[in-house]
Amino acid sequence: MHIKENMKMADVIQMNYMLIPVIHRFGIELGFGDKTVAQVCKDSVVDLNFFLQLVNAYHDQDYFPKEELQTIPVREIVAYLKMTHASYLNNTVTEIEQKIISLEQEGSEDKKYIALIRNFFEGYKTELTDHIMREEDVVFPYVLAVDEILKTEQFTGKNKEVFESFSIEKYEEEHDDIEEKLMDLRTIMIKYVAPPANTNLYHSIIQDLFRLEEDLNYHSRIEDKVLIPKIILMEKSIKNLF
Amino acid sequence: MPRISILIAESTCLIRKGLSSVIQKLGNVEILQSVSNKVELCDVVNRLKPDILIANPDMLDSNCEDLKKPFITANKMSLILISEDKSIEAKYNAEAFVHYKDDQSKILELIEEIVNQKAEKNRTNKSNDTLSSREQNILKHIALGLTNKEIADQLFISIHTVVTHRKNITQKLGIKSVSGLTVYAILNNLISMDEVK
Repeated sequence: MHIKENMKMADVIQMNYMLIPVIHRFGIELGFGDKTVAQVCKDSVVDLNFFLQLVNAYHDQDYFPKEELQTIPVREIVAYLKMTHASYLNNTVTEIEQKIISLEQEGSEDKKYIALIRNFFEGYKTELTDHIMREEDVVFPYVLAVDEILKTEQFTGKNKEVFESFSIEKYEEEHDDIEEKLMDLRTIMIKYVAPPANTNLYHSIIQDLFRLEEDLNYHSRIEDKVLIPKIILMEKSIKNLF
Repeated sequence: MPRISILIAESTCLIRKGLSSVIQKLGNVEILQSVSNKVELCDVVNRLKPDILIANPDMLDSNCEDLKKPFITANKMSLILISEDKSIEAKYNAEAFVHYKDDQSKILELIEEIVNQKAEKNRTNKSNDTLSSREQNILKHIALGLTNKEIADQLFISIHTVVTHRKNITQKLGIKSVSGLTVYAILNNLISMDEVK
């Protein structure tokens, strides 16, 4: 079922709780009573169309808003993706790391195994950070340059350089899945390690890993299904323009 | 355990969707896709290689016998036919038949039996999930950070063999990344923690 503007925001969240962090990134807080999606967006000064495309792409794997793509402002998408990145690095990943560290500090005979898990997770964190930095340093500036060229219909020295140094096709190719290591970690924790004394904490780490993986999946879908197709169209328009 | 994949070929939307929602109740199956016209069928089968094909005879070419022999066996599929008419059982050669009037438990029972047979076959094909000593040895080298080429040279085998072993190891353990395999190797005392660079 697609999320529509006249639905109650509360019903949307009841339908898919994974959207809680998503609306939070838009600056929308819970406690919206019976307000519809449209009203909540208006109150929080959020672009309604963009919001709908985004939550639907999150919510439904097969959702692909072909026509609507044209109307979503690139700046909004980039700003949103950046917010997501920040929330991964500053909150989610750090929280999981903290949990692993406190598990390790409880010190038991399993200490050695927990150290292995911590090392592994730190390796993952580095990989994720690199991945995110690459997007923020190379991909997003490129995307914004494409947007600027198309809007002003002219090249400047700066945006021409950025435009020629990269293409969204390159990004599509290199956009590997950063979830592989995450999946490995939870497989190891579920299949191959006997849980330490503090099973509650151990279980909650596994659940966090599942949630992070799911959220990352959603996140990549926005990049692959909303951002990339839109930029491909824009690249074509630029080629036709000049 | 790998899931058994099922392809449904039926032109009536109601039956297609209905059957697919009934089958979802079986735990270890995956419905690949539903096909609603004849033309697509061969193409989809070749592309997706389902374990089981559930089809309405109307969807098959007039001579079903033809389709059964080369097409079904070549793809190692089990064929289940859907029909309103009991007389098709005499006409066609399939592993099972689903009739319009069958109730849910009957349909499930029938499909489950074939799914279990398939799963059993898959399991025996792949022996078991524990690593052979050869694989353990390769895993040890992977965990020590050696490349495929280096492993091949040290063990006097071809790179191709190393790659095949790696694939099997990953499949058996469910771990893809080198760092994940390293953790597994340490946990299982194939290497010690100090050996890891």
